[in-house]
Amino acid sequence: MKKKWNKIKTFFSKPYNVLLVLFLIMLTFLVVIPLISMVRDTFIVHPSEKSRVHQAVGTFTTYHWLRAFASSFSKSLLWDPIRNSIVTSIWSCVVAILIGGSFAWLVSRSDLMWKKVLTKLFIFPYIMPSWTLALAWKNFFKSVEITGSNGIFTALTGLQVPTWFGYGEFPIIVVTGLHYAPFAYILIGGILHNMDANLEEAAIILKTKRLRMFLRITIPIVMPAVLSTIILVFSGAMASFATPQFLGLPVRYFVLTTELYAAINGTNPGVGYILALVMIVLSVIIMFVNQKMIGTRKSYATVTGKSANISVFHLKGMRLPISLLTTFVVLCMSVIPLVTFALESVMMQTGVYKLSNMTLSFWIGQSQGHNSIQDQPGILLNPEVYRTLGNSLKLASTCAIGAGTLGFLAGYSIVRRRGNWLSKIVEDLTFSPYLIPSMALAAIYLSMFSTNRGIIPSLYGTFTILALIGTIKYLPMASRSGVNSMLQLSPEIEEAGIIMGVPWVKRMTRIIIPIEKSTIVSGYLLPFISGMRELSLFVILITANNRVLTSLLLFYDEKGFTQFSNAVNLLIIVVVLVINFTVEKLTGASIEKGVGGN
Amino acid sequence: MPTIRLVNVTKQFGKGSLAVDRLNMEIKDGEFVSLLGPSGCGKTTTLRMIAGLETPTEGEIYFDDECVFSDEKGINLSPDKRNIGFLFQNYALWPHMTVYKNISFGLENMKWPKDKIDARVKEICKTMRIEEYINRYPAELSGGQQQRVAIARTLAPNPKVLLMDEPLSNLDAKLRNDMRAELKRLHLTTGSTFVYVTHDQSEAMTLSTKVALIKLGLLQQYCPPLQLYGEPNNVFCADFMGNPSMNFVNCHGKTEGDHVVLNTQKFKVIFTPNEKVELEPEHEYVLGIRPEFIHVSDEGVEARVVSSLPSGMETTLALAVDDIVLSAVAFGSIDFVMDSTVRFNFEGNRYVLFDKETEEKICLGSLEIIE
Repeated sequence: MKKKWNKIKTFFSKPYNVLLVLFLIMLTFLVVIPLISMVRDTFIVHPSEKSRVHQAVGTFTTYHWLRAFASSFSKSLLWDPIRNSIVTSIWSCVVAILIGGSFAWLVSRSDLMWKKVLTKLFIFPYIMPSWTLALAWKNFFKSVEITGSNGIFTALTGLQVPTWFGYGEFPIIVVTGLHYAPFAYILIGGILHNMDANLEEAAIILKTKRLRMFLRITIPIVMPAVLSTIILVFSGAMASFATPQFLGLPVRYFVLTTELYAAINGTNPGVGYILALVMIVLSVIIMFVNQKMIGTRKSYATVTGKSANISVFHLKGMRLPISLLTTFVVLCMSVIPLVTFALESVMMQTGVYKLSNMTLSFWIGQSQGHNSIQDQPGILLNPEVYRTLGNSLKLASTCAIGAGTLGFLAGYSIVRRRGNWLSKIVEDLTFSPYLIPSMALAAIYLSMFSTNRGIIPSLYGTFTILALIGTIKYLPMASRSGVNSMLQLSPEIEEAGIIMGVPWVKRMTRIIIPIEKSTIVSGYLLPFISGMRELSLFVILITANNRVLTSLLLFYDEKGFTQFSNAVNLLIIVVVLVINFTVEKLTGASIEKGVGGN
Repeated sequence: MPTIRLVNVTKQFGKGSLAVDRLNMEIKDGEFVSLLGPSGCGKTTTLRMIAGLETPTEGEIYFDDECVFSDEKGINLSPDKRNIGFLFQNYALWPHMTVYKNISFGLENMKWPKDKIDARVKEICKTMRIEEYINRYPAELSGGQQQRVAIARTLAPNPKVLLMDEPLSNLDAKLRNDMRAELKRLHLTTGSTFVYVTHDQSEAMTLSTKVALIKLGLLQQYCPPLQLYGEPNNVFCADFMGNPSMNFVNCHGKTEGDHVVLNTQKFKVIFTPNEKVELEPEHEYVLGIRPEFIHVSDEGVEARVVSSLPSGMETTLALAVDDIVLSAVAFGSIDFVMDSTVRFNFEGNRYVLFDKETEEKICLGSLEIIE
């Protein structure tokens, strides 16, 4: 008995063991139990469903499952959104990899012109919110039949844009693909850049033709990067809400996220929770397929080396045309969207692109005092905008501090106890929110925290629930970067401190944190930026009093206040870009490094 | 089989940094030439220029009478047209191909018929003793096995010239020794010309028929290894070759007849040149003494044993004559008490006299202690 007690005492005398146990408890409560609670929610009657289920609220029912899987509504409720989600996600992967991959190749292997500027601009869509391009697309290609006014394209050319081009599947694919192209570029470019040039030189000496070398050596070696891009893009596209909401809703094209949003905000939350489960299952499947495909036999660990002497592929006569084309595509992804937002936000009447139709009143105009909802002061004078901006900053910083700190500590304790079952469980648990699409996670939290749970009061509509869900959702990326950075730090560095009798807190603050400064800052920066531009995670948990900038944008867009939504969008982008570049300049941490660590 | 000729080959990286400076050398058919030098001296660059992986800034390279590179004539044959094999330092095995595929890939490029490829791969795998790993991926092999696969892949198309860039540097000491012997045998059996880059003087000594010692892009000496060891052109060459390295003693010399009296401040010796040379009446010299020529005995100069490192076969000593510390090698299993006093004298006629200022070799000769 005494022996056992001593064992427990030794166990808890190690700070990382204490941390691991705390993480286990915390994550059980914040991930595992909510998930169970949501499964339970698919079987009970919710207040808004009283009239359709004809049972008392809170009683057991199979109504939701039957309705989702075996009713005449199954097709429109479940199967169509599933099909649409899968189709748009797959094609988005294709678009992202084609564009990002060719850009990566051009930059790292050819004599493309203006590389420096182009690579900076190419990252833009990734830093900007995911719907940026969606709104820009809408600004460009909207048509009078759907939204009541024409877009810039029609104004410039006089041509009417076909509906399939302006709304629905096609633009969702293109826009999502473009948004994730920087991912593909960073991951594939990273491998191309670090790839041992000797691998290609060995092939040249053995008389390999250019094309054969590209197909048989270069492509297979970047394959792991392509696969990780696929999983990132696929799960990202699957979870994206704003883009299909902006581009799909006007033509009633639903994907899982938008259908889930409609169900939970509508009269059948039970079906919404089932859709959330479906999303989780799909992303878990993708994860497993990906792991199977990467395999273990052909380890790519050897694919680094001195890359000083990569031979540059000369584009020769095609150099200028290809450079110009690339520049055009990059500008379409980065600068032109911003221009359209600025332009749309100063149109007195939408769709009339004339100098005389321009006004700054949506930015700095005074309210006219009319009793109309559209009669609002310009966004720079609107206290509501400043309140939401404050909310956004507060929320993003809270999530960043929460996720960043927890992620670093999790990384530390996981690495220190590597190989132990407890460490493995905690590692998997910190990673699990990654597998749960944002909106599904939000649904889980809605189901878990909308009523009293033991000592915890109902959190619905509070700031706390937003901060909690943000912290949990961004924990995987923060803990990933924590684990990676701790793996590179040999334990001897800390052990030297232990031997000299330095206490744990001091070891952390004086030894480990200073060494890992730049990765820790990235660990905070990434969640902060994500939090600033997050919509799908918060949208179903937000109420009118704790609105953030992104939900204000959605509100304006749903109401059709084009000028306001464009102005707010521009505001978000400017805030995100300014913060990103400031932090980058100040600390040397960068978002690109964060992606590499994922 | 070709003779490789480098004429005034120069390579400049960026502005100002000369990696290789007007290099002239001829590598004859069937030779095993080592390019030796400290890191950053331009030896790998030279090898890569021979292969065609690097383009020289100036100069010409010939394979026999065929010009493969000339900046003046604007000739630059690509690596695949030079009929060479190249062994990379990190092996550069393609991680996504099995051993078999790694080896057959090059043969497929050369449009060999399938059955010939199969036969050749099996044959070369047998020579390199990697038959049982034929279906494995590189990541599943040990360093030594990867090395063998890399050699097999390079040798499979029967290259006339084999260029090797520090191929043994990633192996552990024992394996490295085994592979050295194997490389030397391969050189004999293939009859190809080997050009070998290394920074390890003992590797160059043991393997090659000729060593090219390079310092900061400049060729210092190009000759058979034992000559390089015995008759170094300058202090750098003398210092680079041999382990423990040569002792250098500063001394003032007075010419007396056909010998020189060298005063080292701590002891005086008479240096008798092996052949007749013109010497100035008085001059500052550096005397080069190989450790193995210092003979510990009952007579001669008195010295204190600073350290004694017995390795079984021989014992390496550091002997101090006041503040001059000399390393010496005593053969046999003997140990010396540290801080004890011993005496030593000089044997043989392989002592090298260098000019102190230019550090160039003046002549070789014998030594006799006078006080």
